[in-house]
Amino acid sequence: MRATVWSGRNSVSVVDVPDPTILNDRDAIVRITSTAICGSDLHLYDGYVPKMKRGDILGHEFMGEVVEKGKGVGNLEVGDRVVVPFPIACGDCWACKHELYSVCENSNPNSGMAEKMFGHATAGIFGYSHLTGGYAGGQAEYARVPFADVGPIKVDEDLSDEQLLFLSDIFPTGWFGADLCDIEGGETIAVFGAGPVGQFAIASAILMGAERVIAIDQYEYRLQMAVNKAGATDVVDFSVDADIVEQLKELTGGRGPDAVIDAVGMEAAHGHGAVHAMDRVKQANRLESDRGHALRDAILACRPGGIVSVIGVYGGLLDKFPSGAFMNKGLQLRAGQAHVQKYLKPLYEHIRNGDIDPSFVVTHRLGLDQASNAYETFKHKQDECVKVVLKP
Amino acid sequence: MSKKASVTVLGSPEEVQRRWQEEGLRPQYIESHDAAVTFRRAPGDRGTEVHVDLEQTAPGGKAGEMLMKLTAKEPLAKVKDDLRRFKAQFETGVIPRSEGSPEGELAERKLKQRPAQPLKQDELEKAGV
Repeated sequence: MRATVWSGRNSVSVVDVPDPTILNDRDAIVRITSTAICGSDLHLYDGYVPKMKRGDILGHEFMGEVVEKGKGVGNLEVGDRVVVPFPIACGDCWACKHELYSVCENSNPNSGMAEKMFGHATAGIFGYSHLTGGYAGGQAEYARVPFADVGPIKVDEDLSDEQLLFLSDIFPTGWFGADLCDIEGGETIAVFGAGPVGQFAIASAILMGAERVIAIDQYEYRLQMAVNKAGATDVVDFSVDADIVEQLKELTGGRGPDAVIDAVGMEAAHGHGAVHAMDRVKQANRLESDRGHALRDAILACRPGGIVSVIGVYGGLLDKFPSGAFMNKGLQLRAGQAHVQKYLKPLYEHIRNGDIDPSFVVTHRLGLDQASNAYETFKHKQDECVKVVLKP
Repeated sequence: MSKKASVTVLGSPEEVQRRWQEEGLRPQYIESHDAAVTFRRAPGDRGTEVHVDLEQTAPGGKAGEMLMKLTAKEPLAKVKDDLRRFKAQFETGVIPRSEGSPEGELAERKLKQRPAQPLKQDELEKAGV
């Protein structure tokens, strides 16, 4: 089959590889009909996530048709149309039983490697480095889906791939980010990053009852999408004014947002002055893996007693964590890879009911063989790119 | 260097102890090294803690230990593999396998991952799939 593989820093290629086979009774093979490039794939592309290997098949956002299944997969039939969640979760361990699917205790067969980095292993993730298991990803014609009796959700034919595909990651991830903010109604939520995940965090916060949602980005076209499609009530364009914290205070009468969502992660583009310069040098020399302006500003901007929700991906270590602001303001820091399996059914219902049409983020549609161009376009935000869907 | 390793398995101490002896689940390395194994009920609903104390010293003393670590064949890493596999099989019924680590958790694979892409026929046989 054809598959998109990582071929070194800033390089992917589409090559021929063997077709996947069932390795376990609880596996299924899915013929992929649509797959997307995630912002977090750019961290792999850029070489900021450790434990990548040349030849790794990328991609953790995909859907398609079940073409084969192991005898332990009782809930799916060959021919079923499914969306596959990006975390691989066994459904049986203590974490899974408590709906903490992204920290499944069994799905990462490289747990020894992960424990050295993080203290504990986290769940396996498709196409997302050997630290999260070394699983082949879904930017390909076919994928093997482990624990297929737990993850994939069966979906109806009357909805399009583009309406459903983002159940695999970015819609539940945005929703999870908003869910961590304990929204009860009437809050002000600030969202750092109006990329695809940020768009869904904004839309989710609105659906949950937030009164004001402030989108923060440096690209006007993304901020426009945030307002026109996701429902943001205010924007902060830091290409115009880099002092995000002051602008957020001004927009909130000095209070600061009740909760702040970091939908940026380790390659934050903004930041200025000496701390930024130090970050760039350290990161360039791989002395610091995570560039943390978004998280630092989130902590400084958040109102005392508020919540900082981190769904942007970090990989290693971060300097200049504002511990004084964090402690003295009495903030809660919450984070995680989304527990997608927990949200699949309710979010599918939201799509079914017409509460949201997730296809609004799609700006580029390309054939799988165009993956190399697609990564470049997405990385450099060319052609007003927000989200790329690849068709195998 | 610590010679202890532990894992928590979601099951009662009785069930965990019973299945520890079961054909197919019995941890090969730990049993063959006659290491001290204790089972303790974990707090709350957490299951059972399995503690292994590997009394023996690494072959060849300090230098030997260094070499063993570099090849990822030191005993403690093997004990941890055993514990992880037992837990996974006990809880899920399968040994989780990725394309990078097709044999499942294996210390030797930490340094020698396959690329994360499907296996060829001969590799499948080698990995015991």
